[in-house]
Amino acid sequence: MATHDHITALANVVLNNVQYQHDWTQVQTHSQPNLPRPLIYGLPPKRLYVHPDEQVDIIRAEKERGEPIAQEPELEWVLPLHLSESWTPGQFAAVFDAIDAIPPGGAADQDLPGFDDSASQWKLWRGPKRGKRILLATVQDDSTVTYYWIHDGLVKPRQN
Amino acid sequence: MPATVAERQVRISCVAGRYLVFDIDDVLYIRRHHGICAVLTGTMPQNPTQNLFLGLPVELHAEEAKLLVDRKAAYIADELSDHLSQLTTMDETTRGAYLQHVKQQRRNAKLAFDEEKAKVQAMHQGKRKAASKANKTAASLEGASAAPEGESPSLFDPPTTTGVVAGPATTTTTTTPSKEALPAITPTTSSALLSGATPVLDGPIPASSYSLYKYLNSRGYYTTPGLRFGGDYSVYPGDPFRYHAHYLANSYGWDEQIGMLDVVTSGRLGTAVKKSFLFGAESPSKPDPDGGEGGEMRVFCVEWAGM
Repeated sequence: MATHDHITALANVVLNNVQYQHDWTQVQTHSQPNLPRPLIYGLPPKRLYVHPDEQVDIIRAEKERGEPIAQEPELEWVLPLHLSESWTPGQFAAVFDAIDAIPPGGAADQDLPGFDDSASQWKLWRGPKRGKRILLATVQDDSTVTYYWIHDGLVKPRQN
Repeated sequence: MPATVAERQVRISCVAGRYLVFDIDDVLYIRRHHGICAVLTGTMPQNPTQNLFLGLPVELHAEEAKLLVDRKAAYIADELSDHLSQLTTMDETTRGAYLQHVKQQRRNAKLAFDEEKAKVQAMHQGKRKAASKANKTAASLEGASAAPEGESPSLFDPPTTTGVVAGPATTTTTTTPSKEALPAITPTTSSALLSGATPVLDGPIPASSYSLYKYLNSRGYYTTPGLRFGGDYSVYPGDPFRYHAHYLANSYGWDEQIGMLDVVTSGRLGTAVKKSFLFGAESPSKPDPDGGEGGEMRVFCVEWAGM
């Protein structure tokens, strides 16, 4: 199975890259029968993505509390790809349909208390309000790996 | 007002396969009520202006024209055959009515000119007064301050008196001077000329990106042509006068191959201009959850991860 070998090798390149170049922890591959190829998930050393509306909620909460809120990293999905590949929108949709927003063992399993007050609204973004997002890890033959977010649905750009 | 808005039928003129709107009220209407900005294309052929200063007509994309026709807010007129047929079949009464209409427009134009002129004159006179007032001694100031207030309405009198005179002048005095007094006009639309029923063309056959366009428009997004960012559309969260674009959007087929290099380059370019690269496709298997006739739209947004 040449294609299978290729995909396994690709996954290993990306796995090593996030683990050793980007210092991710708890990195694992994730296979599922309805996934076209295995995904990777892991915990980055610092937070990789903050939704612009979440940022607003955090700033509001920080103002009410009068102290900064530490942003813990979240588990993220990674999809290994090679630059020479071409994917169809249907394939991306199939991957998004197969996964949950939060990788296994993520924040949703822990119980986050008290969403009622406005100062805790930001916490929702780590749980029910988190949209599906995947890091596209595109590998080039020279071992360069580029990382791009792909979001499911209309997600406004960050204010970077 | 809402009733007239609901009943409004925008005339989209199909000229040489392009969809044009010539009526400024229609342009305002589709922008306010249908989120369609389209593109101003008009200029004077002998003295072309920069793109920034282009005027009427507005040119619509085929998908914008189709959206308006589908919503029954517009019809598409075959301008060439319509003008030819209506001009050749015109009888004396419609001709007379049209000439009368043009004359009325010229009178309105003259009124507007006169008012503008009077305003400028009033401004200059006011300045001159203020200057002379400053020269006067402090003792005469109290008397002088009352005088301009009393005079200021009379400064604005000329336009109203000429406005009243303009009517009788055309009828009572000799016809030649009154004809010369009215300015020549170039009507921007031929709505008064085309009084009869217009042959309506079928809705345009839109580009394959119509379903993505419709999806974005129905969610309140405005679009402008996206070539400057290398996509089909630049997508704004509201009127482009008020917002920066959020996305550069590209439409694909459900099973159309997208090279990863395209995703990376578009994502990179989008992030560099503080936008997100959006691509979408219509699912052939799932029905539209909004109840539309097509399939469900799936859209994805790509941005640089910063690692």
